[in-house]
Amino acid sequence: MRNLFIFLREQYFYFLFLILELASLILFFNYNDFQGSSLFNVANAFSGSVNNVFNGISEYFTLKKTNRVLIEEMAKLHSRIPEAFYQSDQNVFYKKDTVVRLEYKYISAKVISNSTNKRNNFLMINKGALHGIENHMGVIIGNKLVGQVVGVSPHFSWIMSMLNKDSHVSGKFKKNDQLVNVEWPGGNYRKGQVREIPKHIVMVRGDTIITSGNSNIFPEGLLIGTIDDFSIAPDENFNTGRILFSTDFNSLGYVEVVVDLMRKEKEELKKSFKSE
Amino acid sequence: MTSRTVFFNIVRFFFLILLQVLILNHVNLGGYVNPLFYVYFILLLPFSVSRGIMLISSFLLGLGVDIFTNTIGLNAASCVIMAFARPFVINSISSGPETLIGDTPSLKNQGIKWFLYYTIILVLIHHTFLFFLEIFRFIEFFKTLLRIGLSSAFTITLILISEYVFIFRQK
Repeated sequence: MRNLFIFLREQYFYFLFLILELASLILFFNYNDFQGSSLFNVANAFSGSVNNVFNGISEYFTLKKTNRVLIEEMAKLHSRIPEAFYQSDQNVFYKKDTVVRLEYKYISAKVISNSTNKRNNFLMINKGALHGIENHMGVIIGNKLVGQVVGVSPHFSWIMSMLNKDSHVSGKFKKNDQLVNVEWPGGNYRKGQVREIPKHIVMVRGDTIITSGNSNIFPEGLLIGTIDDFSIAPDENFNTGRILFSTDFNSLGYVEVVVDLMRKEKEELKKSFKSE
Repeated sequence: MTSRTVFFNIVRFFFLILLQVLILNHVNLGGYVNPLFYVYFILLLPFSVSRGIMLISSFLLGLGVDIFTNTIGLNAASCVIMAFARPFVINSISSGPETLIGDTPSLKNQGIKWFLYYTIILVLIHHTFLFFLEIFRFIEFFKTLLRIGLSSAFTITLILISEYVFIFRQK
């Protein structure tokens, strides 16, 4: 036993190294898949408040730009009001108050930290569970897509940006409703990748890709971007293309969180079908 | 190691974490460059510091940066590897004890050649480990290599600039 202690003392540098390295790796692999990130509410709240203070200072330098963004936002909001309503066919329902019902609600929030230079980018906003934000809600700016909520603390939310290797957004061609997948391959933050484009689709540069609304995260019809370049692969089942994102991820000031008021109903319907 | 050195190192610890998370993490050049200047702390630890303290302070340094970027463990693991490698790097590039003038490694005392080797090897170890751990797959191998190369170059340049500023100020 005594020899063991002597051995440990002589070699403590190596043991301490192993212990610290293993501890870091265990932390890394346990708390960094994006479902697990909500476990770090304490760290989240602390870094959130520091970021908040710093942001309070740096905010003054971007007031002009923020104003411009807000005015644009207002114009877009005005034009979007009718689309926020869920409209069902009048022939099916006879009760008047079910014909028009609010389906999406939007919570505006300020971005207090953001990155575009990593492989996996995240944003933090200054609203959280207390304001009604939950996991897996979509985040947009104007009518453009930003990302989805992956962690919530009482006052802050952690958002997985579109610029992340785990982001796969279901989109479609605006011109013919063909479904595709949009991802970010890393590198330039303006350019993404469109996958699984069926062979028979004739693409041209400038085709608009919008959200499909299939995922219950984003409403249908949000702008993702426009086709910038594409390649025809003769020996594969699908073509791929490059997309120029409509969102400028490097200048996000205020964003909106999409609350789908009918999500519960949709999920319950899905679940009831699965369990049978 | 005097109490003055200890004090300077503690101040440097917090200053570099704040500089990293509040300013440098927002630097973005072409989507590939993310300077991780905070590792300067590990480079500047005194030669006489105990190896245990070196490992633990590096771990805490990485964890401090991790808390702000929500990547718990990523920077910590890379910093611990870098701190572990430091004594071996110092041993292999120093020709004799006379090269270790002064207590803190610096461009002025050890000379440009020694300091460049020291900085480049350790920064590359740190960045390579960090960027591969972050992506954790090999399909973007060359893209990741590009990120490592560009970010390391940026970090090393920042470190050299700070060294020169320090020499200039002392004259």
